[in-house]
Amino acid sequence: MTRALLIMVHGSPRPEANADVYRVAEAVKGSRTFDHVEVGFLECNQPDILKAVENCLATGATQITAVAYFLHTGSHVCEDLPGLLEEARKRHPEVEFLMGSYVGRSPHVTALLARRGTEALTRSRGIS
Amino acid sequence: MSNLKPALILFSHGSLLCGAGETLREHAERLRATEEYLAVEYGYLNYSLPSFEEAAERCAAAGAVQIVVVPYFLVSGKFVREDLPPRIEAARREHPQIEFILAEPLGFHEEMTAAVLEMAAMARPPEHWRHDMLAAPDFCAHRPDCPLFGSPICPVTAEATGGHP
Repeated sequence: MTRALLIMVHGSPRPEANADVYRVAEAVKGSRTFDHVEVGFLECNQPDILKAVENCLATGATQITAVAYFLHTGSHVCEDLPGLLEEARKRHPEVEFLMGSYVGRSPHVTALLARRGTEALTRSRGIS
Repeated sequence: MSNLKPALILFSHGSLLCGAGETLREHAERLRATEEYLAVEYGYLNYSLPSFEEAAERCAAAGAVQIVVVPYFLVSGKFVREDLPPRIEAARREHPQIEFILAEPLGFHEEMTAAVLEMAAMARPPEHWRHDMLAAPDFCAHRPDCPLFGSPICPVTAEATGGHP
């Protein structure tokens, strides 16, 4: 089985806003958990989600795991992204598609929020 | 410098869409459980409640002398750079005894990589994709300008009709 990870991102009219998610994608590649890692966008940027699925398949993927790089639930996470993946499944019934929850659910994000708070408090003590 | 623990406010945009507040509540509960903070609150810029001002009010009522405001945003965009600072400035005028400190948004960090890998490890087949929105009505402002308002997939509509819109 050849496993691909598809990181699904909202997209931004400011493409530089996507720099961090590409760094995350590189770090995931470095972990060697997946044979291929792809980023796909719901709006504004390319590749879109369905094109990103095609890119995964072009690398020989037989299983695609999709994760929403979103902080909140809502209509994108509950409706739009599953709808696109269902469309991709119809086109490629031979491929196994899995979808994870959105990253905002993760306790790792809670830990990072605490870290950002601590960094700011440390900086403020440094200048006072 | 006071020996009191700092208070922490998670700051988010807010949404007309239901369910958007659920996640922030989870983060706040986890942060409270660390007992590192005098108070942990969350507040929104728009639409959702509590507002940022209410969150500051709650921290003040808890006796905070220092509040660190952590933006629950992936990047430092317009909301964090332009919309948040005047709201913090207004809160400073309202609570002159409190020092407000603005933190960076999430940005890039290995914790985000770990979050992606964690969610990937928990990925499920298609019948589970449409995440249930059971908690959504708790956070609904029930505003007519919500795109789901009155529609069959509106959780408030579903609740009011016993799941039979």
